[in-house]
Amino acid sequence: MPNRVAIVGIGQTRHRSTRRDVTLQEMINEAVRAALADADLRMKDIEAVFSSSMETFEGIYLPDHVGAVEIGTYMKPGFKVGTGGTSGASVVVEGFHMVSAGLYDLAMVVGFEKQDCGETTAAITAATTPIWGKGAVTGAIGEFAKQALSYMETSGAREEHAAQVRLKADRGACLNEYAHLKLGLKSAEEVLKSDYLVWPLRFLDFCPQSSGACALIFASQQRARKVRSKPVWIADVEVVHQEPFWAGTFGDPTGRETYSQHVACERLYKRNGITHPRREIDLAELYEPSNWEEMNLYEHFHFCEKNEGWKMVEEGVTEIEGDLPVNPSGGVIATNPIGATPTIRVAEAALQIRGDAGGHQVPKEVNTALASALGGPNWTVLTLLKRSV
Amino acid sequence: MTQKPSAKKSKEPEYITVNFNLPRRYRWSTGKYIGRTYQEAKEHKKLVANRCRHCREVLWPPMEVCGRCKLEAGEDWVELSQRGTVKQYTYLVYPLWDPHYGEKFANPHPNAMILLDDGVYIRHFLEETDPKKLQVGMRVEAVWKEDAERGEGTADIKYYRTIRA
Amino acid sequence: MADRVGICAVAQTRYAPDRSDVSEGELAYEAIKEVLEETGLTLSDIDSAVSCSEDFWDGRTISNMNIQPFVGAHLGHEDKVAGDGLNAVYCGLAQVLSGHQEVVLVVAHMKESQAEHALIENAAFDPVFMRQLGLDFLSAAALQARRYMYKYGITAEQCAGVAVKNRGNAKKNPFAQEPLDLTVEDVLASRMLADPIRRLDSKPVSDGACAMILTREARARKLTSKPVWILGVSNCYEAHYLGDRDLADCRALTEAAGKAYRMAGIRNPLREIDVAEISEEYSYQELLWMEGLGFCDRGEGGRLLDSGKTRLGGKLPVNPSGGVLSGNPNHVAGMARVAEAVLQLRGEAGDRQVEDAKRALAHGVTGICGQHQAVMILGNV
Repeated sequence: MPNRVAIVGIGQTRHRSTRRDVTLQEMINEAVRAALADADLRMKDIEAVFSSSMETFEGIYLPDHVGAVEIGTYMKPGFKVGTGGTSGASVVVEGFHMVSAGLYDLAMVVGFEKQDCGETTAAITAATTPIWGKGAVTGAIGEFAKQALSYMETSGAREEHAAQVRLKADRGACLNEYAHLKLGLKSAEEVLKSDYLVWPLRFLDFCPQSSGACALIFASQQRARKVRSKPVWIADVEVVHQEPFWAGTFGDPTGRETYSQHVACERLYKRNGITHPRREIDLAELYEPSNWEEMNLYEHFHFCEKNEGWKMVEEGVTEIEGDLPVNPSGGVIATNPIGATPTIRVAEAALQIRGDAGGHQVPKEVNTALASALGGPNWTVLTLLKRSV
Repeated sequence: MTQKPSAKKSKEPEYITVNFNLPRRYRWSTGKYIGRTYQEAKEHKKLVANRCRHCREVLWPPMEVCGRCKLEAGEDWVELSQRGTVKQYTYLVYPLWDPHYGEKFANPHPNAMILLDDGVYIRHFLEETDPKKLQVGMRVEAVWKEDAERGEGTADIKYYRTIRA
Repeated sequence: MADRVGICAVAQTRYAPDRSDVSEGELAYEAIKEVLEETGLTLSDIDSAVSCSEDFWDGRTISNMNIQPFVGAHLGHEDKVAGDGLNAVYCGLAQVLSGHQEVVLVVAHMKESQAEHALIENAAFDPVFMRQLGLDFLSAAALQARRYMYKYGITAEQCAGVAVKNRGNAKKNPFAQEPLDLTVEDVLASRMLADPIRRLDSKPVSDGACAMILTREARARKLTSKPVWILGVSNCYEAHYLGDRDLADCRALTEAAGKAYRMAGIRNPLREIDVAEISEEYSYQELLWMEGLGFCDRGEGGRLLDSGKTRLGGKLPVNPSGGVLSGNPNHVAGMARVAEAVLQLRGEAGDRQVEDAKRALAHGVTGICGQHQAVMILGNV
């Protein structure tokens, strides 16, 4: 019987596009300290630290080594994972395994990325294999442009729906002290006026490149309640990868299906007895690289029927005051330090359960929250969080 | 242009810039399966792939193990059609560097998902650069590079040209 | 630990200076195929795959995409540890021990020949403070070797003795890349690379892969008649800046080893460990790591080697496989040590077999002068 694992400490940096005032290590340290302060613990209480980042973004071969002292791993156990966009959630999963296995009572996971150090799009484009399809790739943006087009064509969604999603994200971001892009958008027209980046994705439809870090402290069941009276429990995790070459591209050719999300949800829901996700999940922090993709994800996560994601937007269901708030933090479209982004999804979902999200706290009671990560050739990592188990 | 006097003069930090520019070279191997594709493209201007012996799907790119069956695919090599239909396309509005080869991507050649006539999707460039002329459903055919230029696998196809009816 | 985790099968490719005949995935599959055949499992039977590789070496962001079809990760659970391979085994262990995954495939793969290792290793150094010194792992190791030799009076001959022993042991290892018949004089006459490290004090460029299957005890006993149990494991980071460490010490290793020994109930490693496979990228490192592992006191590594106790046939044979010195790529090396330890405990180590081995130690390093150390204790009872 696996041990239960709870989140007892949450910390993040105020994410920015550039952090010229700090080195990578110093930036990570801000998140680590914030998590320790949140849990009222000291670094010496933490038994191991697992980290996540994509080293090609900073051009540092072993970033966990460079930042050993600041990350807190100095003279402690740990290792780094690197699975691309889902890396920050993979580290949550591995930290979860480590504590669940009884190997540690208190462990920290840290996701980080300082994208101002490098050339983000070049690094993402380098994810394609250099011996295949040379030149015929457009980085992550191109993939999501295709997805946007597919979603538009097959679901009946219009640009106005995508703009509404962007507005929702910005509203949340403006209320979230840690979010990166706080644009103060007032109307759909503002979104629709922004230039195309890779048609049909506009500049405002896509996530930014951010520099930031996020740290979570995990505790075993026995230890959790000694640290704080209301820990947030990690009820379950699910990791579903996908072989990268189907149809000679990342994921399916239209980008519409992203079926690793389907499979991951079905497995997670089944294991946890969730039959009506729309009702049984109180809040979701989803990894939506574009506003179009967010609507697609509502469908994949079975929050609504197929081709009806945009209807949820029209009905305001996923707003902060809605029945099923999605990304009240502003989501990935407002903040995206790649190695940390999935960790931030888990952190934000946990803050909502605790009632500690501050300005962007949802008014409804949150007992069950879902955090998702998306990366690589359509890989999915899901984390299910609960107030009580 | 007039400059408004600022009420408070904040001290801008002075940045020292150090440029550190060292290209890292790699020597990647195609391996046995993709190597065959490279060879056929270079020598015969053909695209070849292997058909998985279990699920009978054509693996593109060719692979030793079928990712979906999770079994060894075998070496049933098939030649792919030179023609296909555009299923999806996009075009870059901003210039992009290929980090592997240090080349600047041709812009504005659109990048498309083409369904070849034997049911295999290939992602490649289109010759047509006028966005108004791009259409899902267009019929296209491969235009190969000259003999001396070939040797880069699928990149040996320069682009896909619209087949005028 | 409540339920034990067993290693059911291990495989290594024959390490070679250049495997340009295969892609990364095909290379990994050579090892993966063997462990599948040995256990009668197929990729569909794998619940989770943990791979070990690195973006800079593969020249590809998200390097585990190179091997995805080969680990059966389609619609499956997969992760990648970007450190030495032993840590991937550790990661797999936690997955099984937590009860969340049952059968875990762990694989490390690396083709050093396809990259410029000095530039990649140089990229490990802090860009603001150390990178422009132009160090790589070899030159940094040279600093460590010099400091270590100075502090404790270790001699070049003693370091050379490691090379002689290990390259000789490699002759008995069918997977070894570069077995050699050496004398101390041969080593001392070889070309100086970075003082005091000479060509024969250093590992060669290497390509290869290593795979193994981990599962919980009950299942392990069904999959193999000779399961090997992981009795203890830990790892540890040191400080990054070379000036923040006394390079003649390896506190991180002592820390990791201490925790691993405690988990395994080992109090006197020299007596209780029957065979040790440790990651010596350069000859001096075997002496230093032996001290860190507590096989002898600080500064006594040279003397321990001279005593002959670490020879094949000695009290505690160290690196009967030939070790990393005989050719193992980065990131694979630590996992290869585990594989060799497993072979010893299964009695399948052929001519390099340590008689009646019951407890083995495997060790892996990552980074500059072993900034990250990992230790695993294995047993067959």
